[in-house]
Amino acid sequence: MIGRIHWWTVVLVGVIATIWVIPVLGIVVTSLRPPSEVALGWWRLDTFSITFDAWIRVWDEYPLAQAFWFTAMLAALATLGTMLLTPAAAYAFHFLNFPFRRLLLILIINAFVLPQQVVVIPLFTLWRDLKLIDNIAAVLIPYVGMSFAWSIFLVKNFLEDFPKELIEAAKIDGCGPLSTLRHIVLPNATSPIFAVGVLQFLWTWNALLLPMLYLRSMQPLPVLLTKVSGTYESNWDLRSVAAIVTTIVPLIVFVIFQRQFAAGSQTRTGAKE
Amino acid sequence: MSRSLPQMVADPADVSSRDGGGRLRLPATRGWRIKETPAAWLLITPVIILFGISVVYPLFDTLRLSFFDIKGLAPAKWVGFGNYVTLFNDATFRNTLLTTLIFTLGTTVISVSLGWALAMLCAFAPVHTTPFRGMMFVTFGISEAVSGYMWLNILRPDKAGLLNAIIGNFIPGFAHSWLGDPNTALWSLIFVASWSGVGLPLMLCFAAVQSIPRTVLEAAYMDGAKPTSIMRHIMMPLSLPGVRVAIFINLLGALRAFDIIYVMTGGGPVRATETVGYFMYRESMTQFKLGYGAAATVVLLVAVLVISIPAIIQRTAGAK
Repeated sequence: MIGRIHWWTVVLVGVIATIWVIPVLGIVVTSLRPPSEVALGWWRLDTFSITFDAWIRVWDEYPLAQAFWFTAMLAALATLGTMLLTPAAAYAFHFLNFPFRRLLLILIINAFVLPQQVVVIPLFTLWRDLKLIDNIAAVLIPYVGMSFAWSIFLVKNFLEDFPKELIEAAKIDGCGPLSTLRHIVLPNATSPIFAVGVLQFLWTWNALLLPMLYLRSMQPLPVLLTKVSGTYESNWDLRSVAAIVTTIVPLIVFVIFQRQFAAGSQTRTGAKE
Repeated sequence: MSRSLPQMVADPADVSSRDGGGRLRLPATRGWRIKETPAAWLLITPVIILFGISVVYPLFDTLRLSFFDIKGLAPAKWVGFGNYVTLFNDATFRNTLLTTLIFTLGTTVISVSLGWALAMLCAFAPVHTTPFRGMMFVTFGISEAVSGYMWLNILRPDKAGLLNAIIGNFIPGFAHSWLGDPNTALWSLIFVASWSGVGLPLMLCFAAVQSIPRTVLEAAYMDGAKPTSIMRHIMMPLSLPGVRVAIFINLLGALRAFDIIYVMTGGGPVRATETVGYFMYRESMTQFKLGYGAAATVVLLVAVLVISIPAIIQRTAGAK
């Protein structure tokens, strides 16, 4: 900004931001203090000690480790699927001519407005008839299928600035459509492909509704967390550990890739500026 | 080369003609043209299959099911618009519509106006407020389920809840069950959803304010404009495009909200915090009234499509 720094705005924003992270601080402190000390509130300092007791016991109390690896596997598979199929389709939509190209493109990129509630009933009956309930395909298929609505838009937007001369040169040198994708486009489009991967990873790790309905024996972390967190339960220390474990991996990924995420979620749910 | 040259001359159409996309057609690229369509289908077939199963089929099937009476595993019975008639005669559903309206508008107004105001404050000290913007954006990266859990801890009904304790400092013995009282449960949810969502409007509006040309701000400053009038007459109007995007994203997000309601109130007390997106889940997945739930989903879908009309027009026009 022009002129002097307005310190009062820094102070004001700082105070609001500090208030903003209090709930986060709340569960971290709750997870680290013995329950007897925090019975009247996690912020009280009558006596203060730190214990990792809840962090050690939680793994026996809840199937947290199992759920963690299961969530990681689901998120990894869904991310891989989207990262493999999206660039190929975006390339075909942008550089190749085929019948119904524009119609299909319009259908796919406008589907981003649809809420996930739309798939709940039809896929539930379909998976039930196909005996796919409790099979990881029951969530992986909608995870990957629904991701195309925003991922193809994101990658295709990037390809709009891709130098056409490179494609023409490859054509004249005798590259076919597939080898152009393999040798020219993919090596030069790693950043949007990576951004798509990050977004898909966060989305699938945090997904609650579909796994809750379509999986039974193995459930990912968010579902486990909701099962142990009824309002009138005690064990606030154990459940706080479970909440931290649920969110720590996507939160780290989010903090590292903040910039891409801001740009990506804009194209995911909103119009291009 | 010597062999292909006469061929080029012999077929002038091949040299100079341009196809529909305006691309120059060269004979050397003939192999490309032959392979183009099969290659394209090879690349997009998996996408079409997966997209068809998880978006197109559910869309049409939801619409179809909404005309049937289906309870559990019993055979479906065609009822025409019966489900919709029942829906709008259902006092619970009418209340759900009102809840959805309050929740959607409440979260959007609070998070966008707060994000916008903070973005303009930050614009007066962009470097020094970077860590604070990061702190507020981080809450956006915490999943809704975990955000809801964090707030369950703050909103505990006894004195171990921070909010009750703070108010208790002024009113001794104060203890309110924020989520157990139908009068405060919905607004508690709205507040928590805004808390978790404010990061995105903040970032979008901040980017919009930052993209105002420096020369405009410098000119205003040279002319002696006060910070408040720079804010009022330059930053506010010029950041409107960013605000519009933020409003749209928040409206969509609030309409599809599920996780935060499920974790914090489960739609209660006495169904006071059920939005349409939650109502459809409850009717179809816990009461097994699939047709009735599908009809509610169609109502949700109509609301989503109506607010998305400008975005859909823009995207369709931009799809080349």
